[in-house]
Amino acid sequence: MPQYRSIFKDETKLDIAYIPNRLLHRDSELRLLKEFFGFTLQFPSKMAQRVIITGDVGTGKTVLSQRFGVDITREANKLGTNLRYVHVNCREYRGNLFLVLHHVVSVFHPTFPRRGYSAEELLRILLQILDEENVYVILALDEFESLVDHEGSEAVYKLTRLQEIRQNKPQRISLICILRNLKAIEQLDSSTRSTLQSNIINLGKYSKQQLIDILGDRVSLAFKSLTVPEETVSLTAEIAFSEGGNARFGIELLWRAGKYADAEDLDVVTPECVRKAVSSIIPTMRKSDLASLSFHEKLFLLGIARIFKESQKAYVSLADAEQAYAVVCEEFDMKTHSHTQLWKYLQTLSDVGIVETEVSAAGNRGRSTLIYLPRIPILELEKELSALLEKKEA
Amino acid sequence: MKNAMSVEDVFSSRLRIKILKMLTQVGELNVSEIARRLSVNYNTTSKHLKVLEDEGILQHKVFGRIRLYRLNERSSKARALQNLMEAWEHANKR
Repeated sequence: MPQYRSIFKDETKLDIAYIPNRLLHRDSELRLLKEFFGFTLQFPSKMAQRVIITGDVGTGKTVLSQRFGVDITREANKLGTNLRYVHVNCREYRGNLFLVLHHVVSVFHPTFPRRGYSAEELLRILLQILDEENVYVILALDEFESLVDHEGSEAVYKLTRLQEIRQNKPQRISLICILRNLKAIEQLDSSTRSTLQSNIINLGKYSKQQLIDILGDRVSLAFKSLTVPEETVSLTAEIAFSEGGNARFGIELLWRAGKYADAEDLDVVTPECVRKAVSSIIPTMRKSDLASLSFHEKLFLLGIARIFKESQKAYVSLADAEQAYAVVCEEFDMKTHSHTQLWKYLQTLSDVGIVETEVSAAGNRGRSTLIYLPRIPILELEKELSALLEKKEA
Repeated sequence: MKNAMSVEDVFSSRLRIKILKMLTQVGELNVSEIARRLSVNYNTTSKHLKVLEDEGILQHKVFGRIRLYRLNERSSKARALQNLMEAWEHANKR
């Protein structure tokens, strides 16, 4: 029986649950989060903290909070404080406060019953458990919008003002509310809003270079050495960038591309593996988009596809694309269109979402336009275009 | 001081053995859940739990209306029972 070969060293490093030891390009946010909790760490019973983390999908909100959770728990243990970081995705519990609180209680009592009492009673029970066991909790409410949408102001108010009903008792629960933007908070009434909005950390979209760094870091942890070329990382970063700077998407894409490479028994993850992976995640090539292109736009795109097929590159220059287009025109016995015209064709292809373009940084040889074909497997594209062009010719 | 039960009295009830086995495996449970898992009524379950608690083998904690039962980790009888249950399960698996 042939031995199973894999280019992966440790797939779990690409799993959504993996918390990296170092957070690239989020150091300042991590430091700020630690600053916010500095006093709570020193005097946990005197002050509970509330922090909001915002940012688009894949900007590192969850992993930032989880990394912080691991670090602060370790710090607290060194200081002899019994602190637990509990991360709950509110959407998984349909934004239901009772279910969210039940999850927290079940951290301490895994078989705690799910029926027979209200969310208010459960909150009291949770505080009783924390008081009896002398535990402090940092409760991270991920996808906080879901809780706000489902429960409204009252639930959030209960969570943020619970200390008022237990005067002179230690503060037990700090909150980290994780959400995409502050719109959800605006739905809350003013008194609830005021209890939340003091400490806000906003995570901006990752740049392409930052995504390259993040993906490169994961590659070194997850794949065997020299199995993922720079071109593949660059293409994956480009796609992740175009998906809103979504690092999580890029990491998942890398994993999927690795699976394609393994399935084809390749020694490296090629850019084509990434394209296949992308097209398996999102239905990207609509045949109607291709069919709606003009004849010369199709010829131009066929030329681009052929360079990618031959070179296994992540991107090609406009100059190379023009040359390939000239060859295709010769094949179809057509006169080539001008550079300006091709530039317009490229804009159309970009608008439709078939290619992506980027102007390279000024170097020794000046600026040039780079063309990416991130989403469509080349062979599939070439086949489809050839069929369309032959039909047109006939 | 209340007279302690003899070992044969404790072990004479199939339900009590089942409760002990369940709590050894699961850790802690509330009365309704124990009754549900054993398919017996609440009162019968409560009665057996009280016997085992009076004997010092079980303990419970109250959270509002919820009573969670578990083995009394300070009781040498509970520890001995836990060892017995685990050894039994282990031997059956071999």
